[in-house]
Formats: sequence, structure tokens, C-alpha cells
Amino acid sequence: MDGCADSPAIRVRLFASLREQVGWSERECKPLQAPANPAAIWAQLQLPGDPSHVRVAINHRFAALDSPLEAGDELAFLPPISGG
Amino acid sequence: MQTPLQLQISLHGQPFEPLKVLQRWHAQGQGPGQPACCAESQFIGRVRPTAADGSTLEALELEHYPGMTERQLEALAQECCHRHGVLRCLVVHRIGRVLPGEAIVLVAIGADRRGAAQRCGQDLLEALKHDAPFWKREWRADGRGTWITGNTPL
Repeated sequence: MDGCADSPAIRVRLFASLREQVGWSERECKPLQAPANPAAIWAQLQLPGDPSHVRVAINHRFAALDSPLEAGDELAFLPPISGG
Repeated sequence: MQTPLQLQISLHGQPFEPLKVLQRWHAQGQGPGQPACCAESQFIGRVRPTAADGSTLEALELEHYPGMTERQLEALAQECCHRHGVLRCLVVHRIGRVLPGEAIVLVAIGADRRGAAQRCGQDLLEALKHDAPFWKREWRADGRGTWITGNTPL
């Protein structure tokens, strides 16, 4: 399992290569510690490697690994972008 | 008083014909009360026939983050257009499976002067390549797919 408790608090989303590497795209996660931040959720979910290699978005806005999270937030980990 | 920016942004899951889209956009800019855009710049990006390793490309897959991609495109366009003082902006981007030769991105700018039109178009294109959540995967004829990390050279 992923180490998350039962009651949903934060929605975590993964994209592209990261999603396929990890094997899921979306799940609810209750932080084990408060206040939570993306780096802590990354560790709690045992996501692979160093989170400094991905970008973070909270509620569709870019954020930092130490940005505070609140219940109900949507947290996304974004592998390197390649658009256009 | 500053003329409000006319901004159009759309994501297409099916092929689009950039010249027809441009024709419509241009016609919309000719109506009454429209700002006079005496300088326009346009960029059309198409999918290359070869993958990054030189092999034949079957298709490019474009993944995006619904909601954030649109929001981020709008934020990037607003910032860039206001910085350059342009009047009209059109961004069209493909998502899903895109074939070699098909248009993947269209950026058009309407302004009063050529410098603003061209600089804004180039800056916005670079901004969306680096800061709008899109991810490309190259599919080759042998069925292998590879996620692309980073952008092609300028």
C-alpha cells in the first residue's frame, strides 16, 4: 500500500512518464504529518527518486516542494514539460 | 485608455487547418470596433517526420493536464501580450495523437508594429514550450514509445 490513511484529504495526480513509472495516475492521500507539503507527500507515497527533478502544481498553479497544503487541495507532480 | 487584449486559446483533439483558422481569426479582427492591427505575426509548428534518434516517427502523442494547461496558457499569454503591448493573440494547440506533417501549434499576434508582433510571438511560443503542462511521446513504426524530456533547439 501507499502509506496513506483512509480518509481522503489531498488529491494527488501524476502525469506522463512519472505516471507510467509509478503505475497510477490519481489517488487521495491523507498526510501523515501536519502541516503537509509536496515534498512530504512525495516521501509518504514513496514516489521514485528525487522530487527536485519534477515540478509541482497545487490547484493548477505552479508551487514549490515546501508550499503548504490544505485539505481538499489537488497536488500534481509534473515531469519535464515538452510542449509546442 | 488601453485597448483590452483580445485573446483566444483553444486545445484541439483533432487535426486543424492553421490557414483556415487564421483566416477566421483575421476576419473576426475586421469587424466594427476592432483594434487596427497593422502588424501581424504567425507561427505554425508541425510534427517532424523523424524521432529524436533519427528513426521514422509514426506519431506524436500530446498529453496535457486538463484545467491547468488552459489556465497556464492564458496566464502566459496575458503576461506576454501585456509586456509587449499587443492587441490580439491566438493560440491553438493540439492534444492527443498528432501525425507527421500535421500542425501541432499555432501562435498569431496582432499589434500596431512589427517589433511587438514578432517579439511577442516568439516569447509566447518559448513560454508555452517551457511552462505550459504538455508532454510529448514519440511513437515509432516498431511500436516503441518514448517520452520526450526537454525541447528541440531554437
